[in-house]
Amino acid sequence: MPEQARDHTPDRAPEGTGAPARMRDDGARDDDGAGGAPTAPPAVRVEGLWKRFGEQIAVAGIDLALPAGRFIGLVGPNGAGKTTTLSMVTGLLRPDGGRVTVAGHDVWRDPVEVKARIGVLPEGLRLFDRLSGRELLGYTGRLRGLPGAEVDKRATQLLDVLDLAGAQHKLVIDYSTGMRKKIGLAAALLHNPEVLFLDEPFEGVDPVSAQTIRSVLERYTDSGATVVFSSHVMELVESLCDWVAVMVAGRIRAQGTLAEVRSDAPSLQDAFLELVGARGLDRSESLDWLGGAR
Amino acid sequence: MTRAARRSRDDEPARVPGAADASGQPTGDPGPGAGAGAPLAGAASSVRTGTSPVGTGTVARTAPRASMASAASVLVPLKLSLLRNGLRQSTGRTAAYIASGVLALLVAAAQLLGLVLLRGTAHVGTVTVLLTAVLALGWAVMPLFFPGGDETLDPTRLVMLPLRPHPLTGALLAASLVGIGPLFALCLLVGSAAATARGAAGTAVAVVAVPLALLLCVTLARVVATANIRLLTSRKGRDLAVLSGLVIAVGVQVVNFGAQRLGEAGGLAALDPVAAVVRWLPPAAATGAVASASEGAYGRAAGQLLLSVAALAVLLRYWRRSLVRLMTAPDSSTLAAGEPARKESAPALERLLPEGRTGTVMRRALRYVWRDPKTKAAWITALAIGVIVPLFNALQGRGTIYFACFAAGMLGIQMYNQFGQDTSAFWMVAMTISSPRDAYLELRARALALSLITLPYSALVTVATAALLDNWRALPEALGLSFALLGAMLATGAVASVRFPYSIPQDSGYKNVAPGQAGLAWISIFGGMLGAALLCAPVIALTIWLHVASADGPTWILLPLGTAYGALVAAVGLRLAAPQAAARLPEILTAVSKG
Repeated sequence: MPEQARDHTPDRAPEGTGAPARMRDDGARDDDGAGGAPTAPPAVRVEGLWKRFGEQIAVAGIDLALPAGRFIGLVGPNGAGKTTTLSMVTGLLRPDGGRVTVAGHDVWRDPVEVKARIGVLPEGLRLFDRLSGRELLGYTGRLRGLPGAEVDKRATQLLDVLDLAGAQHKLVIDYSTGMRKKIGLAAALLHNPEVLFLDEPFEGVDPVSAQTIRSVLERYTDSGATVVFSSHVMELVESLCDWVAVMVAGRIRAQGTLAEVRSDAPSLQDAFLELVGARGLDRSESLDWLGGAR
Repeated sequence: MTRAARRSRDDEPARVPGAADASGQPTGDPGPGAGAGAPLAGAASSVRTGTSPVGTGTVARTAPRASMASAASVLVPLKLSLLRNGLRQSTGRTAAYIASGVLALLVAAAQLLGLVLLRGTAHVGTVTVLLTAVLALGWAVMPLFFPGGDETLDPTRLVMLPLRPHPLTGALLAASLVGIGPLFALCLLVGSAAATARGAAGTAVAVVAVPLALLLCVTLARVVATANIRLLTSRKGRDLAVLSGLVIAVGVQVVNFGAQRLGEAGGLAALDPVAAVVRWLPPAAATGAVASASEGAYGRAAGQLLLSVAALAVLLRYWRRSLVRLMTAPDSSTLAAGEPARKESAPALERLLPEGRTGTVMRRALRYVWRDPKTKAAWITALAIGVIVPLFNALQGRGTIYFACFAAGMLGIQMYNQFGQDTSAFWMVAMTISSPRDAYLELRARALALSLITLPYSALVTVATAALLDNWRALPEALGLSFALLGAMLATGAVASVRFPYSIPQDSGYKNVAPGQAGLAWISIFGGMLGAALLCAPVIALTIWLHVASADGPTWILLPLGTAYGALVAAVGLRLAAPQAAARLPEILTAVSKG
């Protein structure tokens, strides 16, 4: 097989201007759950996914059906198993049990089909940070099997849009957290994936960079692609996502459109606290020395 | 374990305060900074310290005036927990660690026995003094190069604690005395003392001298490690780190030279003049004092002991001062952030590389040889030893042209743990490997990048050695052997990279292997080298046969044969490794993401 034969994805421009085939039928983004029961096959289907580390069960047999063409938030407190789940869904961590399909293809049995269709921005894993931003994109794109000229063209556009053009020749190791998230996002988008998995993409990112990331992602989902991202910042999820899965202690507590999950709670934050079972317990008397006489 | 596993551990409530928090995460590195790729090492180190297991627990509570004893009472158990937790992560690694530990102790016990048996022989004083000197040299060099030297307690992690330098150095020193290495040294030193001590005075001196020598060794290692950590964490210092490669190269040469002297007619007696000088150099002076006291030379014994004590005091003082500097000076990367962007310019060579995965991977690998300090240090060391061993021996007039194989061998080692060199950035590779074919291209490209440097280099070294020895007739066979060896190392290196990957921590100049993975590293490198030697056996056998069969046999035939054999073996090795790599991507990522 020639080295450059793996770009299976239909070719859309990175701006996402020409993909009518994948637009949703209702044509518009909605936050109120009108598209609650997707008729199209889900972008990602997870069945009975398990992972344990020693004594600790990180992911306890979860089932998920993430609809295509949505901005999906995977929310949960620290340690809920979000990163473990995303690692297993993207093929970076082998599950103890269960099945994951992306666009109908099994992640573990059919990696050729899956890896070409997904883009990933993991949290807590390094990039090849001794490359400059531009070199990193060139490396990733060519490894993905895209032709060199196309990689360079896309890299230039991505660097421009993500406001990294000025730092493109700097080594990634000298980038700030926000810049690093942006270059990681560019690397994940370069091969125009159908589904994008982002682990905590806004963690430690300044507001300006966050807005840039956000507008790129919105443009991307408008073209019919799917974004799955994890976060524990409810306001962010509420303002970005139209579909939410709530994860607590390795289990999915709720999943559905934002409106369904929010139900009659005033905000997603309230709904979330209710689901998690944190009811504003006052534990402060045990810290009675704090702020006392020094 | 990937980030996933680590996160879930971090997020657990602390079960035991202090050290035990580090369960399954022996470096104590929850890695927000390092994990995210350490934007600025300064920020990373402050985050790291803030979340370090020590920072949250016991030490902080003993503050503000932690005494040396209380600091030691935290750091020593901490080191034990780190070791234990590093082992707890997988049974395979536990087995490997125990195996290497048992091996080290067996060697130590054998030496102890040997030394005791030497008691009373003529040159026993010379042997013990030189042995101590070599031991000290080993301790000095160990933190620089040995994978899995003292990897656990990194003082930069303790920056935020309210510890004065004095108790901190004491506690770190106490923690350094825990482990297989110090036990090994202790066996040797006790053996040396037992071999030479006679009478009450000798015994009394021995009781003082043995702990003194051990402390000197450990402190020496700490001092070198502290100096090295500053070297490796500063951008400018990285260029200086190159020098440390030469230190070991020269050290090997000294040992080699010593061994050759021993082998000559004079035997041990030839070393007596050397020992007469060395016995005044601490910590060999401490061992020498035992012999001196036993011989009744009390003045000399006192002088040697005093010299050792003074040396220890100086080392401790220097160490404390460099610790203070290390922990208070701004991190070099803070300054690096202000540096102007570099100009993009692809060297002509890089532009000649093929398109597609092969060229892309080669380009990245070659850039890393130059830009990544860890990779660079490894390469410089290999390049230096590769040229020094054959050429020095040739210059001394006692070398053989076969030493030129050292160049190929040393550089071939760079093929081992390929994915560990990627660190957790390996996920970027893993995401693009979906078939054995992809894995094959990846591994082949890495082997090609390595060969691009190694082939001309080892050829050059072989030619230079032949020129110095004026043995041009043996040039073809030496080249053939070199290339066969290189092929075998590439083959075993590819397989070892896939079967025994381990993390190379990037955030610390201290460490070349993540805690608990040292055994894995030794198995990978030495198992692989043994395998490579076995794979070369046919070519070596042919060489010997050609020489035995007739004095002027057609040994030139070894050049084409050796080269072809090396290429074949390398190709087979890559073919064998590729499907395993494709099948083991998550496991490899887990193994290389620990640092």
